[in-house]
Amino acid sequence: MSNTLRKDMHTGTEKHSGESENNVKKPKKPKKRLFSQKQKDMASGYLFISPFYLLFAVFGVFPILFSFYLAFFRWDGLGEMEFVGLNNFNIIFNDPLFWKSLYNTIIIGLMGTAPQLIVALLLAFALNSVLIKYKSVFRLAVFLPYVTSIVAVAIIFSVIFSNQESGLVNSFLGLFGIDPITWTRSEWGAKVAISAMIFWRWVGYNTIIYLAGMQAIPNDLYEAAKIDGATLRQQIWHITIPMLKPFIIFTVFTATIGALQIFAEPHIFQGRGGRPEGISIVLYLYRDAFGSNFFGTASATAIVLFFIIIIFSAANLLLVNRIGRSGKVGEK
Amino acid sequence: MMKKSSMLTVLTAMAFLTAACGGDEANDEAAQADNVNNELNEEDAEVTDLGADDAEVELSFWLFGATGYPELAEEYVEENPEVSITFQEIDMEDHHNNLFTALSAGSGAPDMAAIEVSEIDGYKNAEDRFVNLNDLGAEDVEDDFLDWAWEVGSSVDGDFQFGLPTDIGPTVMFYRADIFEEAGLPSDPEEVEDLLQTWEDFEEAADTVLEETGTPMTGNPETLFNAKRDQAPEHYFNEEDELILDSTPYVEEAFMDTSEMIEQGHVDNYGMWTPEWGGAMDDGGYATLLAPAWMQGVVKDNAPDQDNWRVASMPEGGGNWGGSYVTIPDQTEHPEEAFAFMEWLLAPEQQQKAFENMGLFPSTPEVYEMDTFTEYSDDYFGGQNTAEVFAEAALENEHVHKGAQYGDVNTEILDGLDNVYDGVEPEEEWEDVLTRVEQRISR
Repeated sequence: MSNTLRKDMHTGTEKHSGESENNVKKPKKPKKRLFSQKQKDMASGYLFISPFYLLFAVFGVFPILFSFYLAFFRWDGLGEMEFVGLNNFNIIFNDPLFWKSLYNTIIIGLMGTAPQLIVALLLAFALNSVLIKYKSVFRLAVFLPYVTSIVAVAIIFSVIFSNQESGLVNSFLGLFGIDPITWTRSEWGAKVAISAMIFWRWVGYNTIIYLAGMQAIPNDLYEAAKIDGATLRQQIWHITIPMLKPFIIFTVFTATIGALQIFAEPHIFQGRGGRPEGISIVLYLYRDAFGSNFFGTASATAIVLFFIIIIFSAANLLLVNRIGRSGKVGEK
Repeated sequence: MMKKSSMLTVLTAMAFLTAACGGDEANDEAAQADNVNNELNEEDAEVTDLGADDAEVELSFWLFGATGYPELAEEYVEENPEVSITFQEIDMEDHHNNLFTALSAGSGAPDMAAIEVSEIDGYKNAEDRFVNLNDLGAEDVEDDFLDWAWEVGSSVDGDFQFGLPTDIGPTVMFYRADIFEEAGLPSDPEEVEDLLQTWEDFEEAADTVLEETGTPMTGNPETLFNAKRDQAPEHYFNEEDELILDSTPYVEEAFMDTSEMIEQGHVDNYGMWTPEWGGAMDDGGYATLLAPAWMQGVVKDNAPDQDNWRVASMPEGGGNWGGSYVTIPDQTEHPEEAFAFMEWLLAPEQQQKAFENMGLFPSTPEVYEMDTFTEYSDDYFGGQNTAEVFAEAALENEHVHKGAQYGDVNTEILDGLDNVYDGVEPEEEWEDVLTRVEQRISR
């Protein structure tokens, strides 16, 4: 910035001196250099950021592009690649399991994330209130699940949601006379257990983000609302939520993308790498690629997933944008 | 409040970034998830260098699991000072991923690599990525090894030898003497073997055990089905790699027999490798465990204080479950030296030591005649000579062609048996299995 400014001043004087022909002591003409200062600054700037972009090009861009390329080939990873046009897409679109995995992903995504964001918002509100003591202890406790390994979570939850009658959840349900549920293999049992894992692990992360957002809301707004006789509900609805809009957008986005990429939970929980009741779209493509060495159809699935994520993100943007607006309308 | 357009930019960037991060995470999760199969064994690669730093020939050897090979090989590098060997040991799943990537990329592969028996058929379409051991004189040592174990490491026509067999997993019947006694059955290994000659005998005993003790005969459909399938002369694919589930009766029979035993209550549903399955080994959740020789380590780990486990031959003969092969990827610059070392490492004398040190069951039958075997006794199994039972199973086994997509078909069948356990009609489920298999492998 300062460099360009200096240069402007410089050229300014030059122009001026050029106009007055009598002036003999005109400033020296700038030496012709191979690179101007501006170019040098640009070059060093690019050099500074290049490590990331170089690594990203090798480990990010190339695999992404290669996967687009692979989607049109039949390839087992070791042998020759065979061009098959759109046949890979034809195969997956005609595979009922593909549609099942898409359905599962959406259902589990909704079950795992929608309640989670609402609970996170309420938890954050509670943690932010002046009534709670030992705030940092609670904050830490809420956030802790996030740092556990997904694999460990999945293993613990498979013990909790064990199919055996003696499993923790099943014996609890038994107290109410409910028959044991085959958690890993029943249509809804698997989905409930997997959603529970996602809920448990991510609720703290979103709580902390909301909490950070809430702390940025000036207290006078609440005080003013209280003086005007606003109830707690009205405070949340008309102050907290509209002010949190950017944070809500962020969490909805990350949660949606995360939900579309559910993988480890069904992979481990259901045993043998997943079953139709819980298989997610990422697990479907993982099985295809790394279980069966069908890299073509797996890449085709990845591309379909890519477009699904774009569609969902766009839909999210439209939906979430309305949150703040309705809040403002109520405020009037 | 940000302007709308700038917010959109930020969000797009954010979405892109999170998507990118998400991708990495998925890989990470995959790696982590695979580790679970190794009972959360998240040890890093262990590298052992043997021999002089300035050795003329530097060999690298990738392997997995607890083999004890680096310790064994110390003797070899002492006798052959011109050779140095670097061992890289990691867990099985990572090992195969790394090897597959290195072979696919055409660089980075070691001079020698172990491949697990269930993985080796996936590499058999890629003869150009390996050195044909027959060109190095493998035929001369062929007779040292069990025929079937040798054939698993060969191409279908036998011309191309991918690997030399290391250890094997002959299958037997582990059983609980206390449960057999409680049911009024004989509990001595020899008597049990006499009693359970056929699967019909097995079912009769299962009836008695269930009636008298209320205990199911086996812990899950998987082990029972595997045992029955392994006795079939043909499995899922023929030698042209065509699916034969529909055209041969054997696998369907094994599926139906297993289903019948499930319906009669002889089969529980402890998922393999789950904590409940391991716990039931200790507290008597099932009367028998149809499993390979190496399962004895798993049993001892899960039920260290249990003194009622015994070993008998499998009804109608054993099969094989597990074991590995040592291959030479064609990226090597020292195929002869690598083969010389492998030949030494897998010779009967060394296999005998590997059996004594680490319990690797030898693929060279000569060891079965040695004192190690004939005078073997295992206190955990009541002082029984278990090695001889395993050896008998190893000698009985015969080679069956498996095929690259074997694992996929197997998963669908086992899922089907779980569904039968949950109450689906076996005939209906079998039709469903065929559809799912067709869908999964034809792409």
